[in-house]
Amino acid sequence: MESLNPRIRTVWLVVAFVIAAVLSAVVGALPTEEYVDVPVAPFVFVAFLVLLGVYQFLRYRNWGYEIQDDAVYIEHGVLIHVKKVVPFVRIQHIDSRRGPVERASGLASLVIYTAGSRGADVTVPGLTPERADELREELRELAIENEESIEDAV
Amino acid sequence: MTAPETPVSESSKLHPLSVAYRTVRQLSRIGFLVVLFFFGGTTATGDISALVAIGSTVALALAAVFVWQVAYYRRFEYEITGDTFDIRSGVVSRRNREIPLRRVQNVDVTENVVHRLLGIAQVNIETAGGNVSEANLRYVGADVAREIQRDVRRRKTELAGGEVDEKEEVVEDRGEKLYEISSGELLLLSTFSIDFRLVAFALFLLSFLPPERFETFESLSLSFGALPVVVIGFFVVLLLWLIGFVTSFSRYYGFVLRRIDDTLSYERGLFNRYSGSIPLDKIQTFTVYENVLKRHFDYATLGVETAGYSPSQARQQGSETAVPFAKRRRVDRLADEIDGVERPEFELPPRRARRRYAFRYALILGALAAALYAAQFFVSPPSWYLPLVALPLTPVAAHLKWRNRGYYLGKEYVATRNGFWNRTTVILPYYRVQNVIESSTILQRRWRLATVTVDTAGSSGLRANEARAVDVGFEDAERIREDVRDTLQEALAERRAERRRENETWLDTVARESPDARDDSDAQET
Repeated sequence: MESLNPRIRTVWLVVAFVIAAVLSAVVGALPTEEYVDVPVAPFVFVAFLVLLGVYQFLRYRNWGYEIQDDAVYIEHGVLIHVKKVVPFVRIQHIDSRRGPVERASGLASLVIYTAGSRGADVTVPGLTPERADELREELRELAIENEESIEDAV
Repeated sequence: MTAPETPVSESSKLHPLSVAYRTVRQLSRIGFLVVLFFFGGTTATGDISALVAIGSTVALALAAVFVWQVAYYRRFEYEITGDTFDIRSGVVSRRNREIPLRRVQNVDVTENVVHRLLGIAQVNIETAGGNVSEANLRYVGADVAREIQRDVRRRKTELAGGEVDEKEEVVEDRGEKLYEISSGELLLLSTFSIDFRLVAFALFLLSFLPPERFETFESLSLSFGALPVVVIGFFVVLLLWLIGFVTSFSRYYGFVLRRIDDTLSYERGLFNRYSGSIPLDKIQTFTVYENVLKRHFDYATLGVETAGYSPSQARQQGSETAVPFAKRRRVDRLADEIDGVERPEFELPPRRARRRYAFRYALILGALAAALYAAQFFVSPPSWYLPLVALPLTPVAAHLKWRNRGYYLGKEYVATRNGFWNRTTVILPYYRVQNVIESSTILQRRWRLATVTVDTAGSSGLRANEARAVDVGFEDAERIREDVRDTLQEALAERRAERRRENETWLDTVARESPDARDDSDAQET
């Protein structure tokens, strides 16, 4: 089982920081009762930061993927643990993707598409661009190899 | 490409009446706005000039819409070629679309009451890609629609190397009739079509209405207090039942299911006639629906799901109904006849799942009571302990929920079952599996339970139509996941070998005769 690149933790922590800041700003802007002397916002900020920080830590710890003999296996989730099996035969196409945040942090993600109705696209975040491209190539080859003699993908 | 055996048709146009019909339809859509605009602005003055303005605007709109529709009609052409369905359309921006016939999943014909009076019909052609129909012919003659349906099917059979009966002229007379709804079945089906979840919900809401609300009834000498609520409840249930009855009756009137070559074809409808075809090799899952009433009398409904449909098309149940209503045994037999579907023998979730449900229901009732208790300080709701009266029912409800779940890992099929009010059994062949998702929420983990979803390309988007083994033990979840995965590979290998044996000869021919046709099909794998 392969973990994500540790750098994604930083990205997720920054995201947690931003969310906590926004939430505490909202709380701070709310009109307070006169008898409340202490500013609430810093406490809210710290509380959210701790909560989200723990969440992101667990999120990183629980993420894992593996290319097995016949399928891609993915595990993730904090509140809901999810284990996904995507057989190579079912892979429709694969993207390696770099959004603005990912480009800034020098990371990339991989998106695997199938024709399924629920697990239609599976995203693996937190990869180095090289690893993402490498995985894309590898999966593409595996998909083609497995598909070859099948008439119908659906 | 050699010429196909059936002569290639000329490019055709829509039915001329479609211009008039579309004009009226479009006008009725925008007409409302126009009227609103003018009546909103001119009622104060209300003189002749206003009327003239309205009249001329309406006339102008009519003319504009009509001209547009004539242009649309003149610029719309479709054609069935040897291996594609081509549509050239668009007034301002032109669009040429070619749909490879081999990719076509369904050809549907829809006629509503007005269509039937005018003798026109709407044709929808679906492939697996995209969210909307790939082709919409609005509208062609009713007979032409049937012809298109037949032509596409015949061409598909030809392309697959099958033999086509040249003398086949009228579709309706051909094919093996698998099922036809009898009037008794139709009446029973309509009677049983009440949605119990709606009823339960409505009654639940009603139970919260305080009796004081119905003083008017009391003044009508109905001084029993609770009686009006009962009366209202009765009428609500009656109304819901009536709606279910009428909808089902008109929907399934004259339902016939046929099998023509490798295609299922059906027709149904009292006011709006629908007819569609479902290629057998595109079927993803079979679904058996049994609500409480049906189950009690041992009846069931069979639906099939293909990859072509999407939720945006607002189809009832998101799948095609193959058998609207028949004895459970007959449904099983028909499923077997259609695709060799095994009758599943279900394994229930572990008993702790049942405890979980009882626990959950008790918790919900408790929360409700607490909320009512808290509300007492602000308003005067009914007695807060009322929800707790239902507490003794929780074990029963939990048991029923538990008892109606289940999963089955068969030789060729995997099946899951869920739901007490509307029990839904989803059966799918292993070779249709797209991916397997095992998930367990934080609440499930407390009980060491997980849910396994076996995903297919059937795209109804409805949770009920997904094959989900809910609340199975951790070990079972892993076993299901791994079993399905392994059996998928085996089933695919087997299918591959079978196809190679079957198709060796014609595949060679096709490959020799049209290399690009092969490339095309590879590129467009759905």
